[in-house]
Amino acid sequence: MEQGKRRKTKNYYDYSLLFLIIFLVCFGLVMIYSTSSYNAAKYYNDSTKFLRRQMLFAIAGIPLMIIVSKIDYHIYINKLPIIRIRPITLLFFLCIILQTVVLIIGEATGGSQRWLPLGPFGKFQPSELTKICVVLFTAYIVQLAPRRLDNFIGFLRVVAFVGPLLALVVVENFSTALIIAAIMVSICFVASRKKGYFIVAGILFIIVGSILVFGVSYRGERIEVWRNVETHPKGYQVLQGLYAIASGGLFGKGLGNSMQKLGFIPEAHNDMIFSVICEELGMFGAIAVIMLFLLLIWRLFTIAINAPDLYGGLIATGVLTHIAVQVLINIAVVTNSIPATGIPLPFISYGGSSLVVLLIEMGLVLSVSNKIEHER
Amino acid sequence: MHRYKSYNRKNITIVVTVVFFIACYLCGRLFYLMVAASENYAIKAQQLHERERSIKAERGTLYDRNGVIIAANKPVSTISVIHNQITDPEGVIKALSEALNLTEETVRKRVEKYSSIERIKSNVDKDTADYIRNLSLDGVMVDEDYKRFYPYSSLASKVIGFTGSDNQGIIGLEVEYDSYLQGVNGTILTLTTAHGIEIDDAAENRIEPIPGNSINLSLDVNIQKYAEQAATKVMEAKGANSVSLIVLNPQNGEIYAMANVPEFDLNNPYSFNEELKQKYEGVTLSSTEKTNLLNNMWRNPCISDTYEPGSTFKIVTATAALEEKVVKLTDRFFCPGFKIVEDRRIRCHKAGGHGSEDFIQGIKNSCNPVFMEIGARVGATKFYEYFDRLGLSSKTGVDLPGEANSIKHKLDNVGAVELATMSFGQSFQITPLQLLTAASAIVNGGKLITPHFGVSIQNAEGTVIKELTYKTTENVISKETSETMKMLLESVVSDGTGKRAYIPGFRIGGKTATSEKLPRRSGKYISSFIGFAPANNPKVMAIVMIDEPQGIYYGGTIAAPVVAEVFDNILPYMGFEPAYNEKELEEYNIGKFEVPNFMGLKKAEVVKKLKEYSFDEVTYLGEGEIVTEQFPLEGDMIELNSDLILYLE
Repeated sequence: MEQGKRRKTKNYYDYSLLFLIIFLVCFGLVMIYSTSSYNAAKYYNDSTKFLRRQMLFAIAGIPLMIIVSKIDYHIYINKLPIIRIRPITLLFFLCIILQTVVLIIGEATGGSQRWLPLGPFGKFQPSELTKICVVLFTAYIVQLAPRRLDNFIGFLRVVAFVGPLLALVVVENFSTALIIAAIMVSICFVASRKKGYFIVAGILFIIVGSILVFGVSYRGERIEVWRNVETHPKGYQVLQGLYAIASGGLFGKGLGNSMQKLGFIPEAHNDMIFSVICEELGMFGAIAVIMLFLLLIWRLFTIAINAPDLYGGLIATGVLTHIAVQVLINIAVVTNSIPATGIPLPFISYGGSSLVVLLIEMGLVLSVSNKIEHER
Repeated sequence: MHRYKSYNRKNITIVVTVVFFIACYLCGRLFYLMVAASENYAIKAQQLHERERSIKAERGTLYDRNGVIIAANKPVSTISVIHNQITDPEGVIKALSEALNLTEETVRKRVEKYSSIERIKSNVDKDTADYIRNLSLDGVMVDEDYKRFYPYSSLASKVIGFTGSDNQGIIGLEVEYDSYLQGVNGTILTLTTAHGIEIDDAAENRIEPIPGNSINLSLDVNIQKYAEQAATKVMEAKGANSVSLIVLNPQNGEIYAMANVPEFDLNNPYSFNEELKQKYEGVTLSSTEKTNLLNNMWRNPCISDTYEPGSTFKIVTATAALEEKVVKLTDRFFCPGFKIVEDRRIRCHKAGGHGSEDFIQGIKNSCNPVFMEIGARVGATKFYEYFDRLGLSSKTGVDLPGEANSIKHKLDNVGAVELATMSFGQSFQITPLQLLTAASAIVNGGKLITPHFGVSIQNAEGTVIKELTYKTTENVISKETSETMKMLLESVVSDGTGKRAYIPGFRIGGKTATSEKLPRRSGKYISSFIGFAPANNPKVMAIVMIDEPQGIYYGGTIAAPVVAEVFDNILPYMGFEPAYNEKELEEYNIGKFEVPNFMGLKKAEVVKKLKEYSFDEVTYLGEGEIVTEQFPLEGDMIELNSDLILYLE
């Protein structure tokens, strides 16, 4: 841009990424119907209950993604006219407020207050919005002075800014906090020229993480469950998931033929959906799904390295990290490779706010891709 | 806006590479779970999805020695409900309570109970089950089942025993041979959801049940019937509490019959038999009282109850004395009606005494002083040795549960008085079957047998898979002593206290007993008789015990005829032809003659002719003077003292 010579260029738009996203969303809908129809019919007398709700969010989310992708992502860090505040700052404080509110008046499910009731629109999980906020906000902070990140103090400065959000999330939702922290660290890492201090940061992170894990009784217990999944009474859900995965074999039982979804895996359409994919589609189906995600990550990677500026590249990095961490942790939990923690599989697991937030993030990345100029 | 530097791109590559490697690790983990470890987990998952419905194995049959079925199964059904599958609870409650004669509350409680499967009623007969099946109510299951069925209902009830609701033996042979009879239950494996609902199109995995094995018994239904008839007859005639009667083969220990009247109905074992019903009519019993009474009703006194055998035990004393050669048949004794042992005066049953007698007469008279004398000659140590040799110190080993053992003094405590009373069967207790076993060894040539019912075990196809063998001990006494004892005991029946057991044409041996129950002077007695036939080569031996007869209580008077009646019936049945000697032919007027012609004769001529022949009773039928028909016909060979029927016109 600063160079004066302008060749004939055209703005790029990553249609293959768009196609991948739509494919994953549709595949998710199929799997949600497959996993939820039995329980939906049993408890709500309506086998398509979960499918229809998810479909509504998908229908609302995809246009939203396209709209976001057409908005210049620099808008968020430029001061708005009249009120002279940056939208990113607004979003940051909105998230702080929502996270605080949810801790006070939130709806409790499964022992944790994570949901805000939204009347006719169901309920909303503010931590999902926080993920977008963290991607944009960290990228913004970092690109203000990328040189500062070359030392540990600069990194701590970023942590100090994102810290309040992280602290509010970690109270009730350890796994989301983990994702947020990963996004933040990964953005800093990409922006930094020196990497040595990340090892120090990593050790610090492990110490803090361990305190959090063993300090809270239910998290410490999860380690126990993980080690003795077959004998521990609370290992039921993971064990059922393992049964499902093992029943799949090489080629699976065929779409719709899972036995484990018939009440054995509680809420099979949520976090454990990957185990039913394994059971129905077999090892080949499961690896194909992992390949799809890797393909998605590769597209995000391409956008990240070709981004026209640091800010765009960092946004793409943040989204990439978000998707990658969620996919990896989800599959690791389902295969009992790590202790259980509730993280949904992106695009596929049931959950409206999660899907919409992911689609908006994709919109952001598509918007970055839109700024890539390439020669004709 | 900051420029994008190459190190930024490098860093992103690092991040993506890390992601890629973790993804590869997870793919490896998936491969491990889905291929390498899938066996382990998939089998567990399969077991989780499969619900077992058991198919009951058919219990084996009990056959008597001639292959007659004495315990079998009849098809019944079990009605159960599956809570999750019921669509119309009210309809189900109404239909089931009507069809099964249960109150609505009972059915409601089970229908509304949240459980995977709830049994409403078992042992429902086939018609009712078919009716319920045809209603095809959702969530109601009708499972085929078997119920034990005893075609002879009360026959040998205390021996055969009965089974409980889970097809397990409760008493008797049903318990003893339970492991053979039970079989192995089969299963139907169906796939179900976590809520226990069966998946319709899933293939059923069926493991067929293995039916139980059948037992061939030595019991003979006909002999058992004769025994029970005879026992019931004397019980009623003498107003006795109960009568037990065992018939066995003294050569090999096979028990032909074991009657314990009053018996009870095996098809209805939890209700009182007639005797108890009469006794407790109108009496309200607590459940403990009822249980005790039922347990008593089921008790088999032949093996579970001990008694003082009394004079029948003199068989053992005589055997010991003969075997030890301390007495000869010709030895003379004198009975003044008592014998002084130490400071005690022990009476003979005959107040005036038997006077001078030899040993043979001593046995025939069942003279107590004679036996006290020979008992003393044998001595306590030797005497106890014969207890051991003849199996009186241990259980007989009969294949029935709940056998009792004998009760006797320690050898050290046996003084002269104890030895004297033991010589004629008092101051110790044995079971009737123990006595019968000892007596068998004495008359069969010295072989101690194990009395038993089970002969062989056959599988459901009818192939014998196991012959049952029992312990025998040879030569517990010598052949000579055995021969002598047979001769002595035959003389007791032909010419002594046992003469009421005499059956013309057969050689019967035996010994009577009248034991006063403890406490003494209570006026309660057990009359018993032990008998065998043919006396020279015993093939059948029987003991009868009449518990607390009213009025005359002498064993020789009331117990001996019972065995005579049984033998009279079963000896011909078992293929023994009567062989009369000349004295019997004359005395009992036995023989055959040819029937003469009466046809065409006038009544007066008939009367005249009849004097030449020994007809017993002559019946004239019809009005008139001339005989037109006769029965038996002219020329038939008939027994003396037979009846004659004549038709007149």
